[in-house]
Amino acid sequence: MKDTETMIEVIELHKRFKDLHVLKGISTKVKQSEVVAIMGPSGSGKSTFIRCLNRLEEPSSGQIYIEGIDILAPYIDVNLVRTEIGMVFQSFNLFPHLTSIENIKLAPMSVRKISAKEATERAMALLEKVGLADKADAYPEQLSGGQQQRVAIARALAMQPQIMFFDEPTSALDPEMIGEVLDVMRTMAKEGMTMMVVSHEMGFIKEAADRILFLVDGLIVEDGTPDYIFNHSQHKRTIEFLGKIV
Amino acid sequence: MAEPTSSQTSTSRLSDLKDKVGHLPFIRRNSFVYGSLSLLVLYALFLLPSKGSPEAVDLGRIILFCLLLLVWAFIIFTDELKPEKMKTITVFSIFIAAAWLYYRYSTARWGEMGYLFFNLEMIQKAWPTLVEGFWTTLLLAVCAAIMSTIIGLLLAVFRSFNNPVLNFFIIVYVDFFRAMPIIVLMMLIYYALPFMGISLSAILSGILALGLNSSAYVSEIFRAGFLSIKKGQIEASSALGLNPIQTMRLVILPQAFRVVIPPLVGNYVASAKDTALASSISIIELLKAGLSQKSLLANPSPLIFVTVLYLVMFVPLTRFSGYLEKRMKESQRQVNL
Repeated sequence: MKDTETMIEVIELHKRFKDLHVLKGISTKVKQSEVVAIMGPSGSGKSTFIRCLNRLEEPSSGQIYIEGIDILAPYIDVNLVRTEIGMVFQSFNLFPHLTSIENIKLAPMSVRKISAKEATERAMALLEKVGLADKADAYPEQLSGGQQQRVAIARALAMQPQIMFFDEPTSALDPEMIGEVLDVMRTMAKEGMTMMVVSHEMGFIKEAADRILFLVDGLIVEDGTPDYIFNHSQHKRTIEFLGKIV
Repeated sequence: MAEPTSSQTSTSRLSDLKDKVGHLPFIRRNSFVYGSLSLLVLYALFLLPSKGSPEAVDLGRIILFCLLLLVWAFIIFTDELKPEKMKTITVFSIFIAAAWLYYRYSTARWGEMGYLFFNLEMIQKAWPTLVEGFWTTLLLAVCAAIMSTIIGLLLAVFRSFNNPVLNFFIIVYVDFFRAMPIIVLMMLIYYALPFMGISLSAILSGILALGLNSSAYVSEIFRAGFLSIKKGQIEASSALGLNPIQTMRLVILPQAFRVVIPPLVGNYVASAKDTALASSISIIELLKAGLSQKSLLANPSPLIFVTVLYLVMFVPLTRFSGYLEKRMKESQRQVNL
């Protein structure tokens, strides 16, 4: 870790949906350029946790600091916070009425107010990076799932975020398309992007993740390196879960 | 080679039938069909009373003829083995027989039809008024469409904020104007509002009534359009830092418009047809123009002309909105595949 500045700090995060207590006090820190994988059985609150961090879900209580700024403070413009955090969804969520390149240009032009020319250049560079320069004018419905997800990653990167969240980015993909998406994510990890990834792709996590948070029933039960979690974990639920998915 | 085989199979089906019953039922024989048809024709030509309003016994014979004709048609239509061509001929002959019976026994003055209904001279006299009426109808339709679009879109946008108080008022508005018959609304605005100090011209009242009614439907159409957009689209927009107004303008509206256009066009067409109701509050639109000229000239030709004009205008429009709807369904199927 070349830079140990804290990018994300979460203190006692709770989230309730009416009667359902999903997150029961999560506290953790993520340093710059760190790649953190979030694992856990379904219903453990992985997605809710990551969605609370850019306030797609409003946390019920607790504190969240992004780059040292309390994003739950009343004076905070949540849209400004979100421009610092790129997010990639399980179901891609590309805008179906726009081509790949228009999908990528939309936010930089409307939110960051950069010129069309600059946005096009930046979008082409990003499409190049995800290996889809030839699909710039294709509409999402003309792309495969893997290609759509790569465009979605490019779209998130176009805002030049400091942090990237991935919410099960490969769960909706056919097995043969998972690789191409993970390759892009691996490259980003190497380039020093701070990343939080909800995923069960063991190969990718072993190779690219610096840390794993293991969530069970809305609490972090284990926090350690992939090597520790996969090979030396003493926790019953972790061993049980890993036994099931391998 | 295809034809002989098909006729072979049909003869084999017929011969199967023969084997089953022992012999071909007589109603299945072609000689029965042709024979009975010629009997019916002979009956109509020689035994039915000739013209004028028939007496009770004659009326009975006419009804008997109609019944026989229907039974005959029923036998042919329920028989799978009869060729399509014969069924087509049957349909046409029934229509021709009905028209002929009507022509023969109605008390209409057939000789004066051309003068009464398709009198070009009268239409020419009525022409300036009719043209004026046409423009008024167009004005009503276009203004109501613009008004309903603006109000309907705004209501739908407000509705999408999901504010319970706002929603309550919008629901009351939509329910009120959807339940209220347009003609009642027009009467209220034109005849009742002046007592509350709001006097509107007839044309303005007409536009207002049509627009208010249509806006309730338009807002529901737009709302359905907004609801058709997946939650993920809004989440993706938020995650990119778009504020709610940008999300609405750049992501939701462009997508909603595609879904909404076919029902919207259908609604405009329906609303344009309702402009005829404006004749009830002394607006001289197309129908009223036709009616007034009918009275003035004592000849229904202008009214017939107006009817034809309505058909000429609205058949293509309804076809067009049906075509849009079909095309959207097809494109949606493509997306879903």
